[in-house]
Formats: sequence, structure tokens, C-alpha cells
Amino acid sequence: MKFKTFVISFIIVFLFAFVSADKSLFTKPQNWPKPSYNFKKNPLTTSKILLGRVLFYDPILSRNNTVSCANCHSQYTAFTHIDHALSHGIDDRIGTRNSPALMNLAWHNTFMWDGAINHIDMQALAPISHHDEMDENIKHVVEKLQTSKIYPLLFYNAFNDSLITGEKTLKAISQFMLTLVSANSKYDKVKRNQDSFTVQEEKGYELFKQNCASCHTEPLFTNMQFQNNGLPFDSLLNDVGRKRITQNDKDFLKFKVPTLRNIEFSNPYMHDGRFKRIADVLKHYTNGIHNTKNLAIQLQKPILLTSNQKVDLTAFLLTLTDKEFLFNPKFGFPKEVLLNK
Amino acid sequence: MYIIKTTFVLLLFVFKTIGIMAQGNICFKPMFGKEKLVLSKQYFISNSNNNIQIDVFKFYISNVEFYNNDQLLYKEKNSYHLIDAEDSTSFILPINFLSKTWFNLIKFNIGIDSITNYGGAMGGDLDPTKGMYWTWQNGYINFKLEGKSNLIGANNNEFTFHLGGYQNTFSTLQTLQFPVQYLSGIQINIAIDKWINEIDLSKQNHIMSPSKEAVILSNKLPAIFSISK
Repeated sequence: MKFKTFVISFIIVFLFAFVSADKSLFTKPQNWPKPSYNFKKNPLTTSKILLGRVLFYDPILSRNNTVSCANCHSQYTAFTHIDHALSHGIDDRIGTRNSPALMNLAWHNTFMWDGAINHIDMQALAPISHHDEMDENIKHVVEKLQTSKIYPLLFYNAFNDSLITGEKTLKAISQFMLTLVSANSKYDKVKRNQDSFTVQEEKGYELFKQNCASCHTEPLFTNMQFQNNGLPFDSLLNDVGRKRITQNDKDFLKFKVPTLRNIEFSNPYMHDGRFKRIADVLKHYTNGIHNTKNLAIQLQKPILLTSNQKVDLTAFLLTLTDKEFLFNPKFGFPKEVLLNK
Repeated sequence: MYIIKTTFVLLLFVFKTIGIMAQGNICFKPMFGKEKLVLSKQYFISNSNNNIQIDVFKFYISNVEFYNNDQLLYKEKNSYHLIDAEDSTSFILPINFLSKTWFNLIKFNIGIDSITNYGGAMGGDLDPTKGMYWTWQNGYINFKLEGKSNLIGANNNEFTFHLGGYQNTFSTLQTLQFPVQYLSGIQINIAIDKWINEIDLSKQNHIMSPSKEAVILSNKLPAIFSISK
């Protein structure tokens, strides 16, 4: 037993051999806008990022220690919940939305489909506390962490203090999430003149710029706005979207425009995961728009695409897949820490 | 002689530049009627036969500032204080600063301002483990009052007021100012019964999100704070 603790301690100390605030931990991709996260208030360090990553993958954040962030945000599917229209959490309880894909979060000022959260530091509190997700509270999480075998040391390494607080826990989780930058897709390489599109992808890119880019704006492939994209209202789920937060009728049925990066792997699509395939999504935009109140201006005029054009557009969308991101071991399960727990 | 004179001038100069040391404290005193509030004790609502007990009473005081008339003398740094009826040490805010002159006015907020609500994770009294934070829609709860009254039929006679909200029309932040005669302590009474009397508990007993009702009830808070003379 003692030997095991010693081994764990040794591994953790070893991992922190290279600790120090380091600018290379986060690099703004070429020609991207400035991130909106204020890194000065929470400077990235290797030890804090590792702590955040361990917390992200540890079910200790949930009431009965069964569900981790990664349950609904799996790396190989661009950190979303594959195979489930509506994500399920603790005790297999089913929520009302599809978990958003996580990437390039340092550029966002609002989080969740309805923008309920205004800062990435505070984001994790929502799933931790939600009855259908982790059904836990941050005070109790901190108590569990403080009495665990590994966390006091991990916090000590990260903050020079083994006293665990809500603030430190949240800041560490957000450090890990901030490092989830996806900027190495074929599209990005083409933009950096390291690769070139096929004829079909090139045609698709032109169609994308004409029909999609006003909301799915490059380089993040979202304009970060809340829009009603013409989905028929699901009276069973009764999800009013952004209006829940602002209580303003103008925001009825508006949801945050999601990024299209890694779309190949982030299915199902839409806030409630109602579409399984990219083809279903394209069909919605060409033939399925419901002209409900608040329909986005960009969708007032019908989008016309032939079936060939849809194939071309899809070929372009697949160039947004970033395998280096999806399979980067830096973002994966920290088995060196959690398997020895 | 010369040395004494120089020292004297120097001392006068130092005194003039540094000024005076303001020391003491602001003490909040939650009251019910004429009595000091005791949690979970049975009280009567404004001389009626209806009873009430308060089980939770906590709120934030922030941005404490000291003035001499219009002139700002001192602004507390990291000025966030969670006052919690459960913990009487939280009632006392120490005053400790150097000032050019005496202050005769204090200003503070009840609640947490919008800038702080956009500021991400914070520690101390602002740590979300303090139970004063909403999670489904993030933001601080400025004021919490929970208890029981026979006026409420449902929910085991319980009432829950969680007042907060920082965005535009749902802003619940309140700013207060009091002229004070500075001695060594300032006592501010909080008349909880007065606030309860403004509410028809039988109809309104649960507020737990930013709303018009939360704004209306928050606007009634400044009136229950008074300087004890």
C-alpha cells in the first residue's frame, strides 16, 4: 500500500519536473483573431493543465463518482457525445440537449447552447450541479478532492498549496479546456499553403462561402451569435433556447451557432441532436426551413443546392477534420495518474 | 535648535502627507422587530398571529467606500464580504486605512456588480463553494432568505428567496450610502421584519432566478438598512 502511494507520488512529481508558466502551452494559430480569454488572470502552466485534465476525466465530479466530463465529451468525437441525440448523465438520466463539441473555447464569451454561462471558468459548475448530468455540488466536490489520495498533491504542484478551493478547481478545469485548440485540419493546411484542395473540395469551399459562412464564419466556423435556424419546434422538449436566459421574446428558439470544425466526427447535429448525418443537415437548410418567428436573416432567402453541389459542399466540410486534435494524447485520458488511483 | 526645528517641520510635513489613521469597524446587526435575529426562532409577523422563522440569512456587501462629503478618501480593495447569520464574525468589517481627513459618509453595494459577475472564477468570499452562486445560468446570488411561516400552505410552509441577477433589466444590485459620525465603530441594523412586511408570503414565497420579481424585492432592501445612533 505504502509502496503504491510512493509510486503514485513519484509519477506525479516526475510529471511536474518541467513545471513553469510557458507561452508555448497556448499558441494563437496564424491569422486567427485574438482569444477573448484573459490568460493574465489564470496563466497556463503544465501542472495546472494536467490537474484540469485529470479532473476532466475523473468521475469524482459526479454525485456517485460514476460520470466524468468525458462521458459526454469524448475526445475522438470532438469532445461531444456520439450516438445520442440527447446526452445522458448520472443514473442514465436523459437531458434535453446534445452536448456541445469542445474546441477553441478560448475565443468564446458565451457557453452552452443558450449562452447561460458567461465565462469558461464557471462553465463546469453547470454540468456538475445539473440533476441529469452529475447531480453534485462544488462544495462537496472540493471536500471529496481534499480527502482523496491524489488531489492534494496535484493541487500542491499546481498552486503551491494543497488547500483545495472551488476557485482553483474551476480554474484548473478551464486551463485544460483552453488548450483544446483545433487548427490543423486540411482546411488549415491549405490556408497555410501546406496542402491544396481537390477540385471538388475547392468547389465545396466556394459554395460554403456563398451559403454558410455568414453564420459559420472562418476561421472558427461560428460567428458566436444566437440564431433561429428554422428547425420545427419540438413541443415535447419545449426548449425555448436563448429566451430561457434573456426572457426576451426576440430570443425565442435561438441557439448558439456551433462550429463546423470536426463536423465529420461530432454527429448527431443540432442542439437536440435531431440529425444523424451531414446529409440530413443539408436537407434541412435546402428543404426544411420553418419560417418561425425570429428566423435568422441569413435564412430568409432559400438556400438552393443541387445534389452534386451538396456532395461538393460535404467534401469541403470533411476538410475541417483535424486528426491531430482528435487523437492528440495530450488531450486524452491521463492514465498515468488516474489508473493508479 | 536647528535640528529640533527641522525635525518639527519634517514631522509636520509627514503628518500632513500621511494624515490620520482611520481604524475601527462596520458592524451589521440583523434584527427581527426589536430583537437581534436568532436563526430558527419563532417570531410573529407584525403583531399578527402569523408566525415566521428564519433559517438562512446571507447576503453580499461589496465596494465599500469612505468619503468626506463628495471626496472619495478610500476605496476598499477586493471589497467583497459575505455576511452570514450563521457566523457572527462575518458581521464585522474592519476599517483600517490612512486618510488625509476624517470620513463622514460611507457607501457600499448590497450584492455583486456586473463586472465581477463576468470575471470568471474567484476565491475567498466569492468562491462558488460558499453556496451563493447559480450554476444553470451563472451569476452570484446577492441575497438569500429562507425560512418557514404558517402563511405558506405548500412546501412544508417553507419560503425561499434567492435574489440575484446582473444583466440589464434584471439587475438587482443596490447601492447604499450613509452619513456617519465616525467614532470607532459604525453599527448598521437590518430590519428583516420590515422586508417581510412588504411581501404577501401566502402568494409570493419562492424566487430562485433572475426575474422582474427579484428586481422589485431587491429594490426594497435599502430601506431595511439603517445606521444605529
